Amino acid sequence: MSARLSLLALALLVLAPALLGLVLPPNQAQFWTANILGRALVYGIVALSLTFLATYGGFVSLAQMTLAGIAGYALAILVEGAVPGIVGGLPYAAAVPAALLAATLAGLLVGAIAVRTRDIYLLMITLALAMGVARFAESNIDWFNGYEGIRNVVGPVLFGVPFRDPHLFYYVALAAAAALYAGVLYLVRTPFGLVLQGIRDNPRRVAALGYDVSLHRIAAFGVAGFIAGCGGVLTTIYNIGISPGSIGLGASVNILIISVIGGLGHPAGAFVGSLIFAVFDTFAASLYDRDRFNTLIGLVFLGIVLASPDGIVGLARRLGGLRRPSRAGEQPAPRPAETG
Amino acid sequence: MPPDPAPALHLTGIGRRFGALHAVRDVTLTVAAGERRAVLGPNGAGKTTLFNLVCGDIPPTEGRIAFFGADITHLPPHRRTRLGIGRTYQTSLLFNGLSVLDNLYLAVRGGRPGRFSVRRPGRGDPDLARARALAERMRLAHVAERPVADLSHGQRRQLEVGMALACDPKVLMLDEPAAGLSPGDRPELLALLKGLPRSLTLVLVEHDMDVALPASDVVTVMKDGAIAVEAPPDRIGSDPVVQAIYLGGGH
Ligand SMILES: Nc1ncnc2c1ncn2[C@@H]1O[C@H](COP(=O)(O)OP(=O)(O)O)[C@@H](O)[C@H]1O
Ligand SMILES: [Mg+2]
Repeated sequence: MSARLSLLALALLVLAPALLGLVLPPNQAQFWTANILGRALVYGIVALSLTFLATYGGFVSLAQMTLAGIAGYALAILVEGAVPGIVGGLPYAAAVPAALLAATLAGLLVGAIAVRTRDIYLLMITLALAMGVARFAESNIDWFNGYEGIRNVVGPVLFGVPFRDPHLFYYVALAAAAALYAGVLYLVRTPFGLVLQGIRDNPRRVAALGYDVSLHRIAAFGVAGFIAGCGGVLTTIYNIGISPGSIGLGASVNILIISVIGGLGHPAGAFVGSLIFAVFDTFAASLYDRDRFNTLIGLVFLGIVLASPDGIVGLARRLGGLRRPSRAGEQPAPRPAETG
Repeated sequence: MPPDPAPALHLTGIGRRFGALHAVRDVTLTVAAGERRAVLGPNGAGKTTLFNLVCGDIPPTEGRIAFFGADITHLPPHRRTRLGIGRTYQTSLLFNGLSVLDNLYLAVRGGRPGRFSVRRPGRGDPDLARARALAERMRLAHVAERPVADLSHGQRRQLEVGMALACDPKVLMLDEPAAGLSPGDRPELLALLKGLPRSLTLVLVEHDMDVALPASDVVTVMKDGAIAVEAPPDRIGSDPVVQAIYLGGGH
């Protein structure tokens, strides 16, 4: 996706609450702002951590929702006002950085554990880690309050406005998503990002050139842990708390579904997939009964994977590519027949 | 007589077994600094394995390797790269998802300190400038921004050589650079090889005599893992052992 298209999408998202207000009654506009777009953004951030790893490193990890959950639990355990108070007492200004640090360290740890695995083995090892953490949270009462989880994580008051205000929540989520998305696009053009892409294409050659493959892999998982942690802080505030269900198998697979629907070939796929997922999740329940949602999203998933293995973003790129002979930002191929 | 400077490469009794197979056996070889050496031989003679031993991709099972007098037998491959051994691979090992320039830039930076960095290179970045100069020199400047996956076979070969040159090697080892090239692309490659400075020592594995012989000072012919003949290029065609290998039992 070109820079111009990204900026257009950003402008649209900035104006979205106002535009929705023009066409919908106020309560519905608010619902769309917070519960469709806002939700799509915060889960999109978690999915971004996966599309970053997959697009540039070739790593598909099932532990990204778990890393988000580690940030969410760290926040819920530390922050003032959470119920039950486990440690408590910390203001958001201290608890949020601590939560992000926890997710980043956990990401580095996942990277170190999985450093020699690829493909299906990487998927299995990250799945095992994810399930292990969810089980632990479920069975530990002292730190995680077991099955019930921790409630009442409402977010700070910013500029005199409570965080749960739909517009404030939406714009904070949008600012975080835009900053992280831009950060990913910056990072992948740095030497670190180029080496990461080299590892994706040919790890043996990267090592032969003198780079430390393991170090770069672990660092990439640390970056993904930080991104997932930002998503985890916001999803926890969105859900007003966290419980083992929000980091279980279903939640982890949902992040994978979001990323695959959007497309694992570009980081923007995370947000496209997340929006589609949020819309289906919200409205399929009213069209159908709740249980059929999984069937429906499963069929959508299958349809997209069969029609376009690189998701909606890949499909859009190919459609764009049919119209334009060369990629965005590229010189058109020289045409020798010009003189004739 | 002036004192003989240390040879660029000095292999003593080098050998490598793969289980029961003795892929390289008791090879003793001296390549002087600045020399052009061609290594010929039928398929399976052990040429690529010999390259892998010199570059450190696989350890030898016997013998020693010295590089300008220093023993490098047990150094890991990237340390040898930094000392000044550049190589290309018989089957391309490029980064297909990255542009030509990014491939060269990664190769340039691999030889530098501070390889782990999250600072984007600026316009005046010396490594980036060097990558651009290499693209120019390899006649790839017009496709520098293209993804490698879009390149023709000949352009991929040129990029391979460019990446091997990126770390300023003293010894450049090319494994079948002409393999798969169309006849029209071969003169371009030969011109490129002949244009390399004499400060560079060149070791060349090549099937195609039309490329190998004009580019070399000394030719080594291998068969079944061992050296069969070592002679100047003008005597190779008429050498009875070489004729036997290439016309008789070899094929
Ligand atoms: N990694 C390896 N494991 C086992 N056998 C190998 C390996 N590499 C090469 N060989 C064997 O060693 C012999 C020499 O191979 P090679 O050096 O590639 O020959 P050349 O490059 O002269 O065609 C062949 O018989 C090949 O099958
Ligand atoms: Mg070979």
